[in-house]
Amino acid sequence: MDVSPNKVIEVTNLVKSYGSVKAVNQISFEVSQGEVFGMLGPNGAGKTTTVEIVEGLRTADSGSATVLGMDVSKDTRAVKERVGVQSQSPALFPGLKVREIITFFRSLYKKSVPTTQIIELAALQESKDVLFRNLSGGQQQRLSVALAFVNDPEIIFLDEPTTGLDPQARRAMWEVIESFRRAGKTVVLTTHYMEEAQRLCDRIAIMDYGQIIALDSPQRLIDSNIKESAIQFKMKEYPGDQALTSLPDVSKVVREGDDVIVYTNNIPSAISGLLGMASQRSAELSELSVRQATLEDVFLKLTGKRIRD
Amino acid sequence: MRAFTAVFVARYRQFIRDRAALFFSFIFPIIFILLFGWAFQNMGTQTFKIGLADEGSPQTTAYITLGLNSVILEGNQKMFKTQSGNLDDLRASLEKGNLDAVIDIPAGMDTLGPGESDNVQVYYDASQTVNQQVLIPALSQVINAIDERLGSYTPPIGMNQQSVQTHELRYIDFLLPGILGMTLMFIGVQGGLPVIQQRQAHIIKRLGSTPLRRSTLVLGDLLFRMIVILASAALIILVGRLVFDVRMVGNWLSLCGIILLGSLVFVSLGYLIAALVKTQESAIPVVQIVNLPMMILSGTFFSVASMPAFIEPVIKILPLTYLNDALRQIMVAGTPLHSMTTDIAVLAAWAVSCLAITIRFFQWD
Repeated sequence: MDVSPNKVIEVTNLVKSYGSVKAVNQISFEVSQGEVFGMLGPNGAGKTTTVEIVEGLRTADSGSATVLGMDVSKDTRAVKERVGVQSQSPALFPGLKVREIITFFRSLYKKSVPTTQIIELAALQESKDVLFRNLSGGQQQRLSVALAFVNDPEIIFLDEPTTGLDPQARRAMWEVIESFRRAGKTVVLTTHYMEEAQRLCDRIAIMDYGQIIALDSPQRLIDSNIKESAIQFKMKEYPGDQALTSLPDVSKVVREGDDVIVYTNNIPSAISGLLGMASQRSAELSELSVRQATLEDVFLKLTGKRIRD
Repeated sequence: MRAFTAVFVARYRQFIRDRAALFFSFIFPIIFILLFGWAFQNMGTQTFKIGLADEGSPQTTAYITLGLNSVILEGNQKMFKTQSGNLDDLRASLEKGNLDAVIDIPAGMDTLGPGESDNVQVYYDASQTVNQQVLIPALSQVINAIDERLGSYTPPIGMNQQSVQTHELRYIDFLLPGILGMTLMFIGVQGGLPVIQQRQAHIIKRLGSTPLRRSTLVLGDLLFRMIVILASAALIILVGRLVFDVRMVGNWLSLCGIILLGSLVFVSLGYLIAALVKTQESAIPVVQIVNLPMMILSGTFFSVASMPAFIEPVIKILPLTYLNDALRQIMVAGTPLHSMTTDIAVLAAWAVSCLAITIRFFQWD
């Protein structure tokens, strides 16, 4: 393992058991400065436990975690000064106003950004004097994420940051994360949204049963795991699965409502076969599209589970 | 220090916006004082006839007689009328209703050395509410005052005797320290609930990812609660003084000391509940199971002496019993701290045990 200076997180052989269950089993990975590092996995795969050990919230049974060159188990408070953490539960003091909560968190750190900046980040300018318990779910979530930036951190840990946000707020959150990365800072992201992981992450670790089963860039994860592409279309008078799979180079057929998805290794051959069959039966073919396999497909293949249970 | 101030300010803001907490800390005790104070306003203006059976301790008997005769009610009327005689005759009169109580003073009380103690036996009709609420507390205060004097070898006419002399003993005088004790219990034990709520909502966990030390979090919370407790105590004493002219005859510093010790006990008990109970839904009944028996049994409204004998072992382990007794002794009789070592020891033992169990079992997430 090279000890280059831009490795901001180095995790080696991390183990954590709860009773007889090994929540984290010999995990090692590194995160470089300026990287958005994603962690994907079904519930109970050990993502949160791993991240919480790196954040200094839990202690590992064995193995080591180094953040910004410091051993997390020894220099825990120094690490916490320099990282930002957003936890999965957005709850904060229900009886405090937005502004007061930000002030509270600011005073816990030696270094902090102005309150107004956090209010802007959370897009809560209109609600800064509203009690936390009177905020909507999305507003609470936005505040919870924005607070992770309160100490101007070098690394930020985000656990499901866009859960409960509407699409517009989700895209705004992505902008925030991308601009944070552009500033040369590092993000560790846990998410359930494949689109989000695919768009934001430089590299993704897929976890299952306490281990990392794949670690690469989203595109390489797809390329190395699923060679096929998907052809998607609608067809009146469906000819039956049998007729489609007998076409050249078609390996699999899936129907989702009106849509038909055909997987293939040879797009031109499959398409020409498909069109030939359509004209022969004078069946109407519409909304034809060809797409790559997605991260969702990779996840399904590797873990045998859909990510959203 | 900045973090400590922040925790303190955050607690303060949450508290002033929490109507239930405000109610239990400030309004509830005042309602009790006004309600009971007015309802029993005329109690204690009655004269009680007390028989004294001296079985060989003339000096102690004389002290008790003097003590009882020195309690003056409004209108210069004596609260107690004493007569002496032998125990059997006096008890016969008590049963016929000619006497309200008989005090049996056993032999050997005059010659007790330092550190030794013996009890006088009081016979009375427990079915009379007025006996429970006024007579017994008044008697025990007189005897406490005498105890105090004998124990410290001061001359017969000392400060304590004066305080008993100049001050009327009414039900409200008995009640007020009890309400104070009860309120300290409510505020303290209740305090476990927000801890559970914040843990349940993972707020404490979120704070765990910041450099905030847990000790700072606990100390900031503790200091704030102590201030609420002292403010509530001050309000209770003030209302007692302004509305019912209840006087605090003891030392203010001693009173503060006992209030803080008592608060520590109940704040620890609140933390203990937070250590053992995981959810707020199950913690609320637990808080009630802790509070209600003590509120009734520990001498808040009625003297502990008026309780049936079979509950006595329970009463004797409840911390509020000792807090109420200590508060009452200071506020009504002016007893100094060194004469209430049992109360202080039991309260300290409760605080230490609760904190020890809390530290052992408390989980932050």
